[in-house]
Amino acid sequence: MRLNRRKIIDKIMLGIISILAIASAIPIFAILVNVYSEGAKYITLNFLIDLPPPPIGDGGGGIGPALVGSLILVLLALVIAGVIGFFTGLYLSEFSHTKLAQYAQMFLQIMVEFPTIIIGLFAYMVLVAPLKRFNAMAGAIALSIVIIPYIALNVREAYKSIPYTLKEAAFSLGVSAPVAYLRILLNAARHGVLTALLVGIARAAGETAPLLLTILGTTFTYFGGLDQPINAIPLLIYNFALSPYEKWHQVAWGAAAVLLTIILAIFVISRLIVREVKT
Amino acid sequence: MSSAVKVRNLNIWYGDKQVIKNVSIEVPRNVVYAIMGPSGCGKSTLLRAMNRLLDLNPHARVEGEIIIDDINIYDDKVDVAWVRRQFGMVFQLPNPFPHLSIYENVAMGPRLNGLVKDKSQLDELVKESLEKAYLWDEVKNDLKKPASMLSGGQQQRLCIARALALKPRIILMDEPTANLDPVASSKIEELLLQLKGEYTIIIVTHNPQQAARVSNYVAFLYMGELIEVGETSTVFIRPKNALTEKYVLGRIG
Repeated sequence: MRLNRRKIIDKIMLGIISILAIASAIPIFAILVNVYSEGAKYITLNFLIDLPPPPIGDGGGGIGPALVGSLILVLLALVIAGVIGFFTGLYLSEFSHTKLAQYAQMFLQIMVEFPTIIIGLFAYMVLVAPLKRFNAMAGAIALSIVIIPYIALNVREAYKSIPYTLKEAAFSLGVSAPVAYLRILLNAARHGVLTALLVGIARAAGETAPLLLTILGTTFTYFGGLDQPINAIPLLIYNFALSPYEKWHQVAWGAAAVLLTIILAIFVISRLIVREVKT
Repeated sequence: MSSAVKVRNLNIWYGDKQVIKNVSIEVPRNVVYAIMGPSGCGKSTLLRAMNRLLDLNPHARVEGEIIIDDINIYDDKVDVAWVRRQFGMVFQLPNPFPHLSIYENVAMGPRLNGLVKDKSQLDELVKESLEKAYLWDEVKNDLKKPASMLSGGQQQRLCIARALALKPRIILMDEPTANLDPVASSKIEELLLQLKGEYTIIIVTHNPQQAARVSNYVAFLYMGELIEVGETSTVFIRPKNALTEKYVLGRIG
């Protein structure tokens, strides 16, 4: 009798938890359906390369400048954060016993949680205000600050996951530490390092807040130099969605669908990489 | 003729725990020298001190001298990479680089250390090393395949080839057969006997029978202390120390 009641309660609780688990996944599907139903219809090749349409009048227009701007910003941020984040991660993994590594890791973990608008504000103070001009470089540096902790912590995991016996094998060959870490062991950690960089790319491509105060967001120029304003897809979505023009709302939806596709593609690639590791 | 390796008054700590206590041994050239003792006696630590692989462990602290070619390898002026190049090392768990091909596993060391001038010399060295490790015939058609496809015993012989390709004078072996089946183990032991004319081999083992089979000299370590050392036949037939006698008879270990 009592055993039965326990079983019933068990079943009910399991049911509730399962429903909650499903419920937590609803938003992501709702977002996907929403963005693609509104935005997918605008995506054409011309949409990816053309200038945005004038707010009133004819012509489809596109997100060319924002796409170019995003590519430039993400690439720059990746180069800066990739180099700094990689070596930081390597240090955190291989010198984890040092005080410096322990503090650095703590700060990076805090930085992951940092409000990115604050990073944008910082970049504005240091890189925009003194030059008296919004500029692409400030945006790229702000983005790189956002993604350094992601890359560093993931690279750390990648090197930590190399079996100790392989590290011994590498060093027993009588090579210097840089050669051991970069020419032998990097190969063993390559999946994790690649995933770290992809996570950084996805993160940089999707960030808006660090760009609000740094790049201004051009509408009708593709690229005028690293010391000039530039646009990016998330910023275009933000600006156009707030505009009063129906046509720009459509462009914003299309841009959202493009951005989501890019992020999903990166996610799928990184999952494939991880799966290859397991086999 | 001077010794291949001289260990003098060596003390090693992991943090506060002393694992090697005032050990001194001399390893003659071109012999198989076994360091035997029960698990945890410090024999692997002693081996890793010889090529300073112990440096990888930030908690290890070494005092004393280890001398090769009249050079104390713990001298501040000594280049650690140079020390490691004097030795080839084979580990307990076969540890080829799984992401590299069979060829690359052997070629990596000589290439990175500049031991060869061109591709044909490297090919020759890889072949020679694999032949010495009795592996060439089994893998000569699969050189481009990943090392992970080999069996455990083959992987261990690949690791021996990788060590030989560095052209070391001394080979360190840390329980090289502990993770292999009896057939693969006996192949490795045969190989050891082949190599000893050309190299000085220092082998760590927890198995006294293996030490008796393969070595010319043996050192018995117990709880970090050197209990007895000498020619293998002497130590096994007339051990001076009661503890050694117990160990070789299999009563401790």
